[in-house]
Amino acid sequence: MSARQEGFAPPAPMAEGEEGTLPELAGGVESILLVAGGPVSADKLAEALGADRAAVTQAVRYLQQRTHVTGLLIQAVAGGYQLGTRPEHADAVRQFLQSQHSDALTRGALETLAIIAYRQPATRGDVEQVRGVRSDWHIERLLERQLIREMGRRPTVGRPMLFGTTELFLRYFGLNDLAELPPMGTRGVQTLLDAAR
Amino acid sequence: MVQKSVGYTVKVPGFEGPLDLLVTLAHQGKVDLATIPLADVTQDFLARARDSLDLNEATEALWMLAALVEMKAKLLLPKAPPAEPLPEIGESDLPEKLEERLAEYRQFRDAAEALRALEDLQQRIFVRPPAGEPADLLLEGVTLDDLFRAFETVLTRARKNRAAEVEDEPVRVADRKAAILEALARAPQGVEFARLFGRRVSAVFIVVTFLALLELIKEHKVRAQQAGPLSPIMLAAVTA
Repeated sequence: MSARQEGFAPPAPMAEGEEGTLPELAGGVESILLVAGGPVSADKLAEALGADRAAVTQAVRYLQQRTHVTGLLIQAVAGGYQLGTRPEHADAVRQFLQSQHSDALTRGALETLAIIAYRQPATRGDVEQVRGVRSDWHIERLLERQLIREMGRRPTVGRPMLFGTTELFLRYFGLNDLAELPPMGTRGVQTLLDAAR
Repeated sequence: MVQKSVGYTVKVPGFEGPLDLLVTLAHQGKVDLATIPLADVTQDFLARARDSLDLNEATEALWMLAALVEMKAKLLLPKAPPAEPLPEIGESDLPEKLEERLAEYRQFRDAAEALRALEDLQQRIFVRPPAGEPADLLLEGVTLDDLFRAFETVLTRARKNRAAEVEDEPVRVADRKAAILEALARAPQGVEFARLFGRRVSAVFIVVTFLALLELIKEHKVRAQQAGPLSPIMLAAVTA
């Protein structure tokens, strides 16, 4: 595969020594991310490319700078890197895919999800105590969409089911890990959004 | 960023605001349900559902309406006399506790709003689906509206045949699922939607069959295809 790649489009002339390998490595990273679709961990990238982890991270940073001039972006999501289209092209992409349908979560479902995400593992009762209303329906929907999962039972009376978030949850909200959840009590959203761009 | 789903709003004498707020307030006893005409709220919901239907929101609203009706029914039923008066202890710190809980709720509401912003952004980023895994071909060319319209046609036909004798026979989703799978197994080239329902059947039979069909599609066992906007919807078993 690498032979064909090299013969196809020779990379721009590069400086001697170590720096020369960066664009090449970056090209490899980009290719893998394209075929993977979902997030790929730095370790897996390093393994496939025969490079070390630090070099891969550097290559990703190099790509992230360059993708500003293309229609793509690389996000750190769910413990890996993911290649996607830039949000400013969303309308064009949607038009092309003919997908008008937005599957956005309802407000109640988002509240339920927020409580589970920050309090996990959390029970139905934990959710309902905060929201003051029954939330079975939302929990069912969130399970169905695989944004939450069952995580055993709490060893108390009635042994209620415990819920936590899934890997898909991280991907759905573009988070690298749970530590990236917007900080509670403050409006940390803008910081997060800026970081995503 | 624009708030996508605002939910159903209610406007009746005695209350004006989002439906979920009404549920919350009623639950906390801050709104007297006895004075809220739920029939009006329901009528309004039905009228709006006829106009435009977002299945997600409609289901949620339906669920909340049911909760309201349940609460109101409990309210209207005569109660047994209280066994013993509630303990008076701690009554003084009740407002404090309420305030505490409300503050906690607000925190999560804000967190939900933050997640909404992230969702908005992430929904504008498209990731290539992994090769060899077609995105979602279970409903090919068929929109939810198409399915409902087909369902309505079958239901209307059944209503015309109302004179047919009514059989008090329980119809179960599980049985209908099995029957659909059986019918599809016999016809590898697919079965037309309307043919699933037979000629002289009850509305219950049709509704249950339709539910069974939706479940099968959700379980990735049945695929629905429609060649063009007005052509019949064809159903086929998914061969894995």
